[in-house]
Amino acid sequence: MIRLKTKLALFNLLSKLAFTALFLLFLPFIIERINLRQVDNNLIQKREQVIGLIANVGIEPFITSDSTDTFGSYNILKEEFISLERTGTEEYLNHIEIARRLIEDEEIDYRVLNYSFLVDGKMYLLEIGKSLASIRDARRNITKVILAFLGIIIVLTLLTDLRYTSILLRPLEKITRKLKKISDPSGFDKVPVRTTTADFLSLDKALIDLMEHIGELFQKEKEITVNISHELMTPVSVLRSKLENLLLDPRIDDDISARIEDSLKTLHRLQTLVNSLLLIARIESHQYLREDNFSVHDVLNEIIIELKPVAEDKGVEITIVSGHEHNLIGANRSLVFSMFYNILNNSLKNTPSGGSVRIKGEYRDGFYTLDIADTGRGIPESRRANLFSRFKSREGNDEEGTGIGLAIAKTIADFHDIVITCASETGKGTIFSFRFPENS
Amino acid sequence: MNILIVEDEKALAKEIASFLRSENFLCDLAYTGNEASEKIAVNLYDFVLLDLGLPDYNGLDLITEARKAGSEASFIIITARGAVEDKVKGLDLGADDYLAKPFALIELLSRINAVARRKFNIQSQDITLGEFIMQVQSRKFLHYNTEVELTRKEFDLLQYLVLNQGKVLTRHQLYEHIWGNILDDQYDSNFIDVHIKNIRKKLVDHAPAPWLETVRGVGYRVADDR
Repeated sequence: MIRLKTKLALFNLLSKLAFTALFLLFLPFIIERINLRQVDNNLIQKREQVIGLIANVGIEPFITSDSTDTFGSYNILKEEFISLERTGTEEYLNHIEIARRLIEDEEIDYRVLNYSFLVDGKMYLLEIGKSLASIRDARRNITKVILAFLGIIIVLTLLTDLRYTSILLRPLEKITRKLKKISDPSGFDKVPVRTTTADFLSLDKALIDLMEHIGELFQKEKEITVNISHELMTPVSVLRSKLENLLLDPRIDDDISARIEDSLKTLHRLQTLVNSLLLIARIESHQYLREDNFSVHDVLNEIIIELKPVAEDKGVEITIVSGHEHNLIGANRSLVFSMFYNILNNSLKNTPSGGSVRIKGEYRDGFYTLDIADTGRGIPESRRANLFSRFKSREGNDEEGTGIGLAIAKTIADFHDIVITCASETGKGTIFSFRFPENS
Repeated sequence: MNILIVEDEKALAKEIASFLRSENFLCDLAYTGNEASEKIAVNLYDFVLLDLGLPDYNGLDLITEARKAGSEASFIIITARGAVEDKVKGLDLGADDYLAKPFALIELLSRINAVARRKFNIQSQDITLGEFIMQVQSRKFLHYNTEVELTRKEFDLLQYLVLNQGKVLTRHQLYEHIWGNILDDQYDSNFIDVHIKNIRKKLVDHAPAPWLETVRGVGYRVADDR
């Protein structure tokens, strides 16, 4: 991807080059015109000087009546010449032309001014010439100067353009930085970026408004979850206290106690379910902070300590295979604990006696990846697709599980930008893989 | 001990009161914040169970009020709102403990007792169970003079049962007490069974422990030998 700044600079450069090229195309023609006019003016000026001289001193110093009736002069390199001669024609000449002259056996092209005039009843023709070669030289010099000047101008304007666009786009960069900094809409800086560019101002304002709006929605969702929590938990609470009081009543025999406990179990399931849904809702509306830095292995070791008695009782080995360790930055420790716990507990439950659950962390393609592999019965293809959706992963005869553990794990993973995938082979086992984001 | 129960849900308030009375507490009820405010101003309570979700009052204000009035009551906050901020705020304001609804009545009792022990500086007494002795203070479980090696979780579990001697505790109540803080909603009854099994194994290595009873279909109980 190309940055806007670079794109603008590139466009500026290209457009300047295009215009310059166009200019250079016409340049020889323009210079030719200017140069010829300059030369012609020069010739006319010289003519006036010569005529002035003749008017002052007369024609005799140039042409004596007995000689050849011609006066000629040229400089060593034959760049210029002046000639004066008697002419027979009656016609007055006054024009400038390109003509070829023979000087000292050398034919040279000249820009020649022809001018005839009458002195003492005799007609004279004055010719003043400037060689085209010298004119061309001058033209080349002018072209060189112009090209150099153009080059300098292009470089200078390009530099100022670059500087200006970077100043111009600074507010945009600030807005981008503001956006990148936040993980929660309420964290967006509400102080508008200082700029005189209306577009950036309106972009910033639109973003601030949007963030406020999303923030309000989050706040509303937060309130809803709090309200649901209150509305649902109060009756559950009443029922639970009633049943527990009954259970403690000495008049009640063991048989009835067992039936009361049955009802309590059902109530606990309801409680767990509501709490799980609320947990998911809370995570999804960003009510949890992500400000803990901790080692993944520390969390895993804590979970293993919790699960060890159950694993040993079942005859399942649960171990961390040596591999890479990883520190999480800016995460929520108790949520990450919960995520791994749900997956590990799930793996443990699905692994028969004599099996194992192995945890291995390593850097793969630049990402830290953690695999939890069990030797359990595996997850059939048909169930794998919606393994992480709420309720769908539930097994028919699992009395206590609400089947929401994997959904919770997935929600927590999403919250932390961790990608969970599941590979499984029926009868052989299942591997849950966690790929952590690069900057975690 | 004198307890004020501040709870707008009357049915719940009555159940809590009935339970605490059976545990020999004196209970007073307030269904609104105003009522509670008046009662706290007039009476001396050792404990106030405070529901934060009162319709007419910000429950946390009651703590501030009581403290200003010089009340020495210990506050235990109960709330269904489940917001962590409430917990932190409540504890900051000087509440002594916090329980999220729905909670086990047994758990409430154990919290009250724990606060009371701290407050009145009561030394826990050693408890004799057949040939075994539980030293609550030093967290040791002895068979005559030999220590029974229990893990922390196992000791906590056994202690909870022992402190509630004579009462059947359900697996869920036990689980909540031990793991409630870290594993809120991952209740697994198997955990308790495995731990009890391990405790029994360790006890039986020293001497039979028939007092640790399984109540079929309900849970576990430490038999009352009184």
